[in-house]
Amino acid sequence: MPLLEVENLKTYFKSRRGDVRAVDGVTFAVERGLTLGIVGESGCGKSVTALSVMGLLTPNARIVDGAIRFDGRDLTRLSERELEDVRGRQIAMIFQDPMTSLNPTLTIGTQLTETMKRHLDMSTDAARKRAIELLEEVHIPNARQRLDDYPHRYSGGMRQRVMIAIALSCNPKLLIADEPTTALDVTVQAGILDLLEELREQHEMSMIIITHDMGVVAEAADDIAVMYAGQIVEQATAEDLFDRPEHPYTEALLGALPQLEGENVREGRLTAIRGRPPDLVDLPDACRFAPRCPYANPNDACARHNPELREIRPAHLVRSAHPASERAGALAGADA
Amino acid sequence: MLKFVVRRVLWTIPIILLVIFMTFLMMKAIKGSPFRKSERAVPPAVLANLNRKFGLDKPWYTQYFRYVKGVAKADLGPSLVLRNQDVNGIVKEHFPVSAELGGLAMLVAMLIGIPLGIISALRVNTWFDYIGQFMSNLGYAIPSFFTATLLIYFFASKWQVFPTNGWDSASAKVLPVLALALFPLTYFARLVRGQMLETLQQDYVRTAKAKGLRWRRVVVVHVLRNSLIPAITAAGPILGGLVTGSFIIENIFGIPGIGRYYVTSVSGRDYSTVMGITVLLSILIIVANMFVDIMYGILDPRTRDVRS
Amino acid sequence: MAVNPEEMEVRQDVVRRETAETSSYEAGAAIRQSSLWRDAWQRFSHNKAAVISMVAFVLLVIYVVITPWVVPYDPNNVDFSSAYLTPTWSHPFGTDEFGRDLFLRTALGGRISIGIGFAATFAIMVIGIAYGAISGFAGGWLDNAMMRFLDALYGLPYLPFAIITLAIFGTVNFWTMVVSLTIASWLTTARVMRGQIITLKENDYVRSARAIGARWYRILFRHLLPNTLGVVIVFVFLELPNVVLGEAFLSFLGLGINPPKASWGSLAQDGYQQYLSHPHIIVIPSVAIAWLILSAFFIADGLRDALDPRTREAA
Repeated sequence: MPLLEVENLKTYFKSRRGDVRAVDGVTFAVERGLTLGIVGESGCGKSVTALSVMGLLTPNARIVDGAIRFDGRDLTRLSERELEDVRGRQIAMIFQDPMTSLNPTLTIGTQLTETMKRHLDMSTDAARKRAIELLEEVHIPNARQRLDDYPHRYSGGMRQRVMIAIALSCNPKLLIADEPTTALDVTVQAGILDLLEELREQHEMSMIIITHDMGVVAEAADDIAVMYAGQIVEQATAEDLFDRPEHPYTEALLGALPQLEGENVREGRLTAIRGRPPDLVDLPDACRFAPRCPYANPNDACARHNPELREIRPAHLVRSAHPASERAGALAGADA
Repeated sequence: MLKFVVRRVLWTIPIILLVIFMTFLMMKAIKGSPFRKSERAVPPAVLANLNRKFGLDKPWYTQYFRYVKGVAKADLGPSLVLRNQDVNGIVKEHFPVSAELGGLAMLVAMLIGIPLGIISALRVNTWFDYIGQFMSNLGYAIPSFFTATLLIYFFASKWQVFPTNGWDSASAKVLPVLALALFPLTYFARLVRGQMLETLQQDYVRTAKAKGLRWRRVVVVHVLRNSLIPAITAAGPILGGLVTGSFIIENIFGIPGIGRYYVTSVSGRDYSTVMGITVLLSILIIVANMFVDIMYGILDPRTRDVRS
Repeated sequence: MAVNPEEMEVRQDVVRRETAETSSYEAGAAIRQSSLWRDAWQRFSHNKAAVISMVAFVLLVIYVVITPWVVPYDPNNVDFSSAYLTPTWSHPFGTDEFGRDLFLRTALGGRISIGIGFAATFAIMVIGIAYGAISGFAGGWLDNAMMRFLDALYGLPYLPFAIITLAIFGTVNFWTMVVSLTIASWLTTARVMRGQIITLKENDYVRSARAIGARWYRILFRHLLPNTLGVVIVFVFLELPNVVLGEAFLSFLGLGINPPKASWGSLAQDGYQQYLSHPHIIVIPSVAIAWLILSAFFIADGLRDALDPRTREAA
């Protein structure tokens, strides 16, 4: 049984103009010991998905439908107190901006130990000892002295490491990392990703990495789900996704990556995807990507109905009327 | 940290000197000798004598330095009008009354205002919050002389629960304290509510929740601490507001404090009393601000390393 | 070919956008080129409390300005036979101990009080902006010195400061009140303006302007000050009620405008003398003052929200 099963999750935000359908029917699973990467552009709903799992939505948002099964229990049916027991202990989350994610008026030590004292019932001394070990695990030098420092004495990269240490302190089974490297310098990014992988193995955790950066996900994820406008549009193993992407959006995302090698590298421009994502309050019945899709035309079925997520190959799902393999096949068929 | 405190304390001294100087200048600018206010013209010889007795004939800088020396020794000089009293005596007699009034009012304002703000923030947009907001806005807008009048009208005159004026018994103190406390109360409530709402939006609160901490701990340790600090720094301006308010309240309730005495001294052109009280109040406010700054530095570690 | 902005995001923008995603959300809405002011006006007009308060404020000003031209009573006419009337049709606010119509007197008093308010607020803005801008823009030792001086002035309590200034003038009239209240109140504005200028100075567009050789006055007047306009407008509506209240307090204590001249404070003092027997006399000016303070406060709040796009309503 997968560690986490999200089934048809729908999370809507209340707004003056109506419901914003930030997450609109998302289904995925995270297996034990593996990393799932959720990729998509800003506003596609990937962060909201994570917050829904943790139950950390703002008061103007609510889970309208769906189930979130963790280790068999449906998290959407738990009371707030029960969720408090799950958070930090079974599922931990780190956020994207380390500069603001730590309380500036408490020492790093306090913020590390309070989780352990809460979930593991440790004494202050034991917790502090463990905290030093954790800081060393995330490669913070001089851990013992730095324990009583305040966050403003740490750099961005170091703060993110502290966040990771806090997340791991109670040995959760699942770690959700929401854009863990986005706010950091490129040189620091690689270090954080390596650290995450190292720790994931050591602690035998599963991980969800959320990012807009294909490069990050290529390195860190075993499976990848691509999100667009509140839905998953493609899902496959990392290898398969990069080898043979199906959805026009995924292709465009990959095409937009700066290349170092290959022909025309120095002459061409970066390929951008024209257009903007749809308004999540006023969604069309048609395929949500259609306005920006190079293959769609008004006579297709996808101009009237949003395609379903279907299995185009074993373990490869796509939500499109024009997946790559069918395009080539269509052409080949026409020629034949 | 110690350096910070010492530096802050030392800065107050030139500020106090400057304030005394400015008050002094202002007092000198007020035309009209205090000795001329009676109907009979005072003979010039007597006038000269009086001036000499009180040192008013010396050049201004001499007067100023004499005065500063006096202040340092906590001697505010003699009253120019009430010949048998000196300002110190007047202050000693009336200041404790005002201090008590102000202190009680501040206490009431904080004890009621701060919890109100906290609860309003935690129950934002509920009926409790709306009613709280409404009352708080009313309390803020209604001038204190009206509040005092209302209170006296109902509680003292109509229903006879409390006396209408005076400061002799505990029950006499209730109405004036309430009237004076209303404005700071609403100020605190609104300030705390705003701060809490802002803090609740912060990323680190989300992190605390994500760690699975009990909500009570999140509120007390993460939210309250960071919300109350700014509320404390507001205590400075509120003190100023209390001084202003006490003038009115003492006047209405006939309370023998320095606020009421101040007004009479001004019209009576009693230089030294006016100056003495002004200087005293100023020193009080400056010192209070200094304390608040120091407290802020203690509570918020970021400012310590940055402040000049 | 148009470049999709998201693809080329600078790090900070991505962070900001991602954060926006998880909070109240308005992406994908029609992108209409609109200036800061149009946006602000949009936001302001949607704020019910602000709009109502604006209407209330304007109504008050209209009442104060128009009534003396319209009402037939003579404000100084003493007619003991109509003394102490409670509100009736011919005297909507009743009369005072001399039989003078209070509807008219309150309007007249309002002219004085609000007049002092506007004049003083204007003066406060001018002085506060000038002082704060010079201090903030100059920086260095001048800034330090000016701020220390300000710190010292802060030590003088508000009311005594105004009282002493009035005493220096000797007489009390409209203009001496304006000056005294201004002198006692300009400090906060100066401080805030300095803070604004200092923050704005750090912006990249200022650096660019310097880099192309713009003179200091161009930077100050063309780049910095216009961007403080929003804060200034909010402050106008914050200071106005303070000044009016200050005038009311001074007059109430007998140190400001005195009867028979009407200001809201002097009317209140009048009313106070006889509140036990004729409470309505003090109620009217108090309500007028409260009306002004409340409406100005909500307008200021609404303006603040409208002009600062980052302020979020409580969820």
